[in-house]
Amino acid sequence: MAYRLTGNHDDAQDLVQEVLLRVRRGLETYQPGSLEGWLSRITTNTFLDETRRRKRRPLDLFPDDPDRVVPPSPGADVAMAAEALPDDVQEALRGLPPEYRSAVVLSDVVGLSYQEIGDALHVPVGTVRSRIHRGRALLRGVLTR
Amino acid sequence: MRSFNPPHLPDHLGDVLSGLLDGELAADQAQAARSHLGGCPSCAEELLAVGQARTWLRALPPVEAPFGFYERLAPMWPAPAPTQQERRLSPFEARQKPSSFRHQAPPERANLRRRAGLVAVGAAAATAAVLGVGTPRESPVSPSAPQVARAPGNSPSVATDVLSKLAPMGVPVSFRR
Repeated sequence: MAYRLTGNHDDAQDLVQEVLLRVRRGLETYQPGSLEGWLSRITTNTFLDETRRRKRRPLDLFPDDPDRVVPPSPGADVAMAAEALPDDVQEALRGLPPEYRSAVVLSDVVGLSYQEIGDALHVPVGTVRSRIHRGRALLRGVLTR
Repeated sequence: MRSFNPPHLPDHLGDVLSGLLDGELAADQAQAARSHLGGCPSCAEELLAVGQARTWLRALPPVEAPFGFYERLAPMWPAPAPTQQERRLSPFEARQKPSSFRHQAPPERANLRRRAGLVAVGAAAATAAVLGVGTPRESPVSPSAPQVARAPGNSPSVATDVLSKLAPMGVPVSFRR
């Protein structure tokens, strides 16, 4: 999940370490329930916090604007193929705005329900659905360009 | 027909299509959406498009941790300190009598030990969950390593080995994408 959100191994490892610190701090207040949902929430919020923090800095490592950072086009052969290569999908995923990327990863990579995603991101279910749909549409558009 | 159309797409289903794909619509909403799809080629085409993206995303293979990553995390989760009684035992004796001493431990020590155990279990579970290890998925799209190795013209060079590119600073590769 960390790799899918960040798009590279270095940032994914940093994210996991930060998540573990937050998990350690929050473990005593953890209420028995969905451990996966709890961890997904912490991971996503840590990722979004880091994205916002980097956004304020001149060097922006996480691409936020899909129009500004366009993943390389996979070419016509991929557009014609029924399957996309994982690296191309990951690159397209990395080009999505963080809010769309988080919703799509939580839905299609982690497998959370819309309600669980809404709880994790603190947004209504309708917003979750909209972000997932737009994220998928953007990703498909990039991969078939 | 009941309308589910978002304001920016007054004549089409829009994000209801993803809700339909994910089984997140109520039965009557899903039925109405299917009825709309029967007479709307534009929405049917969009359904196929987002469905394709969804399939690609769900087919992404699990990503395993780079070599040595778990070891680097270990200092963040120190092992619980042994109790005074356990310190008096040899390692062999400690292995022989762990449960009896656990029962004899005073309540505050037992609580500490339970918390330490919870922390250790939490660390392992958190790392595995966050990294996606063991997450059930569909089959990876990429060819397996043996298939790649058998392909003509493939040699184990760093330039062509996909795995080597993922290894941080020449650390031996022991993970796959």
